[in-house]
Amino acid sequence: MAANSGVQNPRNLDYFQLLKEAGRSTTSCGHKAIRLALLGDCATQHFVPLLRALFNREGIRTELYEGGFDAIELEARNPQSALYAFQPDVVVIMNSVQMLRDKYYQRPGVPGAFQEDTLRRFTAVWDSLCTNSRALIIQSNYVTPLERFFGNYDYQVPGSMVSIARQLNTTILEEMRTRTGIFLNDMEAIASWVGRKTWFDERLWCIGKLFCALEYLPLVANNVVEIVLANAGRAVKCVVVDLDNTLWGGVVGDDGPHGIQFGAHGDGEPFYRLQSFLKELKKRGVLLAVCSKNEHSNAISAFHENPEMVLKMEDFTVFVANWDNKAQNLRKISDGLNIGLDSIVFLDDNPFERNAVRMMLPEVIVPELPEDAADYVKVLVELNLFETASFSKEDALRSELYEQKAQLRIAESAASNFEEFLKSLETIIDVSHFVPEQLPRIVQLLQRSNQFNLTTNRYNQSQCEAMMIDTEGCLPLFARLKDRFSDHGLISIVIAWPNPAAGTLVISDWVMSCRVLKRGVEEYLMNYLVEEARRMGLGMITASYIPTAKNSMVKEFYSRFDFTMVATRRDGGNEWQLRLEEYRQRSVFIRPEEQQMYTTLG
Amino acid sequence: MDNLIAERLSRTFRFVFDDPGLELKRSTSAKEVEGWDSLTYINLIVAIESEFRIRFTTAEITALQNVGELADLIGRKLP
Repeated sequence: MAANSGVQNPRNLDYFQLLKEAGRSTTSCGHKAIRLALLGDCATQHFVPLLRALFNREGIRTELYEGGFDAIELEARNPQSALYAFQPDVVVIMNSVQMLRDKYYQRPGVPGAFQEDTLRRFTAVWDSLCTNSRALIIQSNYVTPLERFFGNYDYQVPGSMVSIARQLNTTILEEMRTRTGIFLNDMEAIASWVGRKTWFDERLWCIGKLFCALEYLPLVANNVVEIVLANAGRAVKCVVVDLDNTLWGGVVGDDGPHGIQFGAHGDGEPFYRLQSFLKELKKRGVLLAVCSKNEHSNAISAFHENPEMVLKMEDFTVFVANWDNKAQNLRKISDGLNIGLDSIVFLDDNPFERNAVRMMLPEVIVPELPEDAADYVKVLVELNLFETASFSKEDALRSELYEQKAQLRIAESAASNFEEFLKSLETIIDVSHFVPEQLPRIVQLLQRSNQFNLTTNRYNQSQCEAMMIDTEGCLPLFARLKDRFSDHGLISIVIAWPNPAAGTLVISDWVMSCRVLKRGVEEYLMNYLVEEARRMGLGMITASYIPTAKNSMVKEFYSRFDFTMVATRRDGGNEWQLRLEEYRQRSVFIRPEEQQMYTTLG
Repeated sequence: MDNLIAERLSRTFRFVFDDPGLELKRSTSAKEVEGWDSLTYINLIVAIESEFRIRFTTAEITALQNVGELADLIGRKLP
């Protein structure tokens, strides 16, 4: 339904931008239009183009009817009114607190009677609408008024205006619950979100009876659109989450199930709150799935071994942890659950993964997550991704039903348009010899990398410095990577030692950050090493793999590059060798940095 | 009219009325501009406030008669 839903943030809800869009509505006349009537005790003219533009973004044409100013009851309670002649599909009713204020000041009797009378007027309007049409009713509630007559004590006084407005909100809602087809447009939630001090523009009320500052009108209009769409069946059915730095802080493959940041207090709390939020969504009937680039055993160890974890393995209908590209995995999740890609929200802290999915699967909703995990939930709430028009017992049971049905096979399959995506990234690499200013980061990567680490030698700063100075005997390389979207910094280290006597180049270390896997960095560096070896007049490259508890993902690394295993080590590792004449140059979509920041020696 | 103010004002008018050819004179008022009604007037006022980072009072908004008065008022409000 929403082809542009990949671009959720920023939400593009600028008032003037929407006015321009309304003027250039493009939806073809062939579509069936939605007939929407607007009734208000405030000005509604400014609202009309916004609704038109926002529905148009969803590919929906609108026929709009505006009732007269302050004519909600006149229109709704008269079966012969122009409103009913219009035959609306949706009736949007906007009651402003400013008009409530006027009527409150002019009340003939006691405040309690005023409140009851106001509520009766609401329900009489709804009942007439239900009798005379089949329209969906979208009713706003009251924004808490500015006026306090008693200071903080105001809300404790039953007849104060604040009390009346809040009481009405509660009783309006109670009445709504006993009826069907009436939905709340939670204006009070928007006003308190933006702040009532700026929400209210008293001048615009005086001059034109506008109930809020112009810039916030789009938020209210967007509410209406989202309620209508939810009633038309649009819903997020599944939230697919990444693991490392999304569901917890840190990298489970490197830090271990107890080393990751997670917990009800401290630096793990942002992740605790996201998991708790997701758990509530699951109880509401939204499916949860995992899509993570991880060793499967590492990924599940966090859930099995860390008792703090709020989400448990059984909370996920599908659990995918592998090294394939995420768009492929998401497509499989969508097929396996038999739900549309446009009903999937994908949460990932990594901008590369988000952009890859947006590009390859534009239907999937990919929120731009903030840098600080503490704001994850805030952003999700602001985007209002989980709008719904109902909640039933069946919803709460849904995830069990799916679990029984979903027999998901995550099979290897050819990358579809992943190559196209890689090309579009315009990735640039800078391969250089160790330099003093990069030594701290080099040492850090050597110390921290566990998964993509062939021999896991933990060199310290002075050892790295010695390699850096040994320009004859050592080829200590680091690589920095950047692309259109982000600068990944220093992401890989390869240390090699030329041995002219034996005619070989010996690779002692190969380390890479898992964040840049499957992007051709390994291929680029292997091409680079082969070229270096040839330039030095060497005919062979030899290398080792030493297994640890965490580096099984690179067990077959050298065989991928046509190396032959020549020996098994006592520690279970292997020795590999490659004759350069047998090497096939690998094709990559990475260009070298044209102006190298660091000079390559030799 | 201060030239810089006039230029920024023209730009804002053209934007709000979606008319790139709109020419303003000091005497220009609602009568001469197509689409200038009470609705677009509020749009115009809010757009001008945002362009010049100023704020009009209710009385000023209701009293303004033409572009010349508007430009003078802006000039007085700018620091």
